[in-house]
Amino acid sequence: MTEKTGKKEGLSSVFCPLSSAGVSGLHLTSIGHGALLLEPSLSLDIGNGGAALEEIVRSLQRINATRLYYDLAELAVIEPLYYNWLNALGRACRTINVRMICVHMQPTAAFALSRYMEQMPTFETALDVEIWNKESK
Amino acid sequence: MVKKHTQFSSRLIDLLKTQIGNITGSIEKEGRMLFGGSNNLMSADEISDFSIEFFQLLVALLESKDPLDDASPQFHALEIFFNNLSHQILVRGGRVEDLVRFNQFMQRALIDALESNRQDEPEQITTAQDFDELKTILLFLSTTFNELNLAVFQAYLEEKESTIHAQEAELRETATPITEIWDGVLTLPIIGTLDSSRTMLIMEALLNRIAQERATAVVMDLTGVKNIDSQVSHHLIQMMRAVQLMGAEAILTGIRPEIARALTSLNIDLGSVTTRATLSDGLKEAFRRMGIHVSRGQRTEDR
Repeated sequence: MTEKTGKKEGLSSVFCPLSSAGVSGLHLTSIGHGALLLEPSLSLDIGNGGAALEEIVRSLQRINATRLYYDLAELAVIEPLYYNWLNALGRACRTINVRMICVHMQPTAAFALSRYMEQMPTFETALDVEIWNKESK
Repeated sequence: MVKKHTQFSSRLIDLLKTQIGNITGSIEKEGRMLFGGSNNLMSADEISDFSIEFFQLLVALLESKDPLDDASPQFHALEIFFNNLSHQILVRGGRVEDLVRFNQFMQRALIDALESNRQDEPEQITTAQDFDELKTILLFLSTTFNELNLAVFQAYLEEKESTIHAQEAELRETATPITEIWDGVLTLPIIGTLDSSRTMLIMEALLNRIAQERATAVVMDLTGVKNIDSQVSHHLIQMMRAVQLMGAEAILTGIRPEIARALTSLNIDLGSVTTRATLSDGLKEAFRRMGIHVSRGQRTEDR
């Protein structure tokens, strides 16, 4: 977007869509301050999450990210399989010294997840990206 | 059988047509006494409209293929009519007893009309066929009005259920007063007994409120909770987890010694939950985490 217009040079480094290297359902955007926003779509195949995980880690390392924001706004319910995927990604982020923060979790998803969750997840949670960006500045 | 039905129904239709003035007159009079005047449940026009509509529906039922069939559309229409009328009267503060009495009166008015018609033609009573026909008429009236009484009771039960549901909803609202005490800080004082279903309701309301208000901290005060069991304590922990998953800080306050003892004996670890002694301490903690400093300002002189 910013590359096409070429006018908002300051923002081009802040909001920069990254390539997902052929992994469907991944939409990664660099949002500045060493943070990457991941907006998964419903086509993300978590059954074969290894490739997606590698791609996310690669993108994080490419921009020297310190935080990964995982947007859960589109998920009304988080089932155990998806929760395992989130935990796996959280662990992967920890291994490369990146904090993973899930944002926009829906009340229904939080309700369902709290019922079968036995331990605290490997990721952090926040209401939205803005708050964490303000805190981290 | 159908022929028999045709005979009794045509006789009743004739009766209704010839004595419609007398019957509606007495029904309207009784209706005004029970529901009109100072009772103020129905206006004179409504009572009059009701009598006419009742007659139209009764005639439609008598003209149907089998008037004794309580599954026929005509019978169903009559039931719905009575159900609606009952709702209307009950909502306005009427009593179910008066509705039943009114039904009984209408039945009696029809039987009286039948009797007076028979006295006008005394020769009809002599035949066995006529006796059989009268029996069928009485059976029809008794069955129909019994069903209509059931429709009245059904309406009564529906009204009662609706009142109970409304009261329950109101109680739920007042039992879980979630208040935004500061921008982004919600407080939830829980009062009374916590059972599983109530905990679930509180949890649902709280999570929706967090999303709605974009709350960053929730202070749950248990000062008013006297008892807690294993299941409820697990629900409580689930609630705290769900709040944290939404991205808000969860602070639990006002844990009474009895509750603390129960949680310990149930082997429940509140290590992952921030707790404070009082609601005031909980609020201070929420403010501290949000970087808000509340201090006593200089008092301004009254003008």
